[in-house]
Amino acid sequence: MRRIILSAVTLTGAALLAGAAPAFADGPSPVPSAVPASDAPSPGTEPTKVPSPVATVPTEAPSPVAEGQVSVVPEGAPDTGVAEDGSSGPGAGLIGAGSGAALAAGGAALVAVRRRRAATGA
Amino acid sequence: MSRFSGRALAVAALAVSLAGCGGSPPEGRADTAPPARSSPSPAATAPARPLERSVPVGLRIPAIGVDTPVLRLGLAPDGTVEVPPVTAHDRAGWYEHSPTPGRPGPSVILGHVTVGSHGDGVFRHLAELRRGDRIEARLENGTTARFAVTSVRTVAKAEFPTEDVYGDVDRPELRLITCGGPRSGGEYRDNVIVFAGPAAPGRSPHDHGER
Repeated sequence: MRRIILSAVTLTGAALLAGAAPAFADGPSPVPSAVPASDAPSPGTEPTKVPSPVATVPTEAPSPVAEGQVSVVPEGAPDTGVAEDGSSGPGAGLIGAGSGAALAAGGAALVAVRRRRAATGA
Repeated sequence: MSRFSGRALAVAALAVSLAGCGGSPPEGRADTAPPARSSPSPAATAPARPLERSVPVGLRIPAIGVDTPVLRLGLAPDGTVEVPPVTAHDRAGWYEHSPTPGRPGPSVILGHVTVGSHGDGVFRHLAELRRGDRIEARLENGTTARFAVTSVRTVAKAEFPTEDVYGDVDRPELRLITCGGPRSGGEYRDNVIVFAGPAAPGRSPHDHGER
């Protein structure tokens, strides 16, 4: 009976130690692996991204103010439109030609009527 | 010790050992979960970067179908700005005492609205431009300065806004100038002035194609 009790006690002791061994193994490993693994990439990648835009902006900011303005300011307003002639617009030529043709046609009709009257004696 | 008490002791020891094994995994899982990381996003857009000084050789305004070579213009003897020659298929001209397009300051380009008996000029549709329309100035060194219209103004020549057109600015800008308004005695009463600033990357929603 004593042997059975002793063997049971040793078995439980062995089982406890066997259970505790993975617990010890689990305990320390996540702590160092989790913290440096999460911290390590963030300083490594972020500082390289952040300074690059900051480094380009200051070089661009001062340059616009430094140079490149109009050296000689012209007087008055530029004359960038030349009309065809006087106050007439682009359709003035067509209107003039049309009125001339109408006058010529009227004159020709008048001459024809007079000749016909002279011929008939009316 | 009785047989019953020995069995009870063994069972109790086994229960304790099982309880110890079951408690450890949640702690391990909690530790191995990766922490949330928030990385700052880089700047979305960069400010307008000035280009190297290079004389403009071409001008393109898709919204009004302009694609023209660009001449150099100086000052006339009377102190006014020179204008491009009145010819058929006239061209635009860059005022050489203004910054080249893409350099800080107001770069000034002029063109005719009409060229006498030759008909319409290269800037005949300039007054139709709208805010956001794109303008591209091709430079001699092969680069292109890109602008977007910020405003279009029609002003009487007698009240030409010299300071607004030629005054200092802190970024690359562009001024396109032609004539407009009613004509009297062969001359136009007004000037049409297009003000443009650096274009943001991408296509403008106001671009409405070639005309």
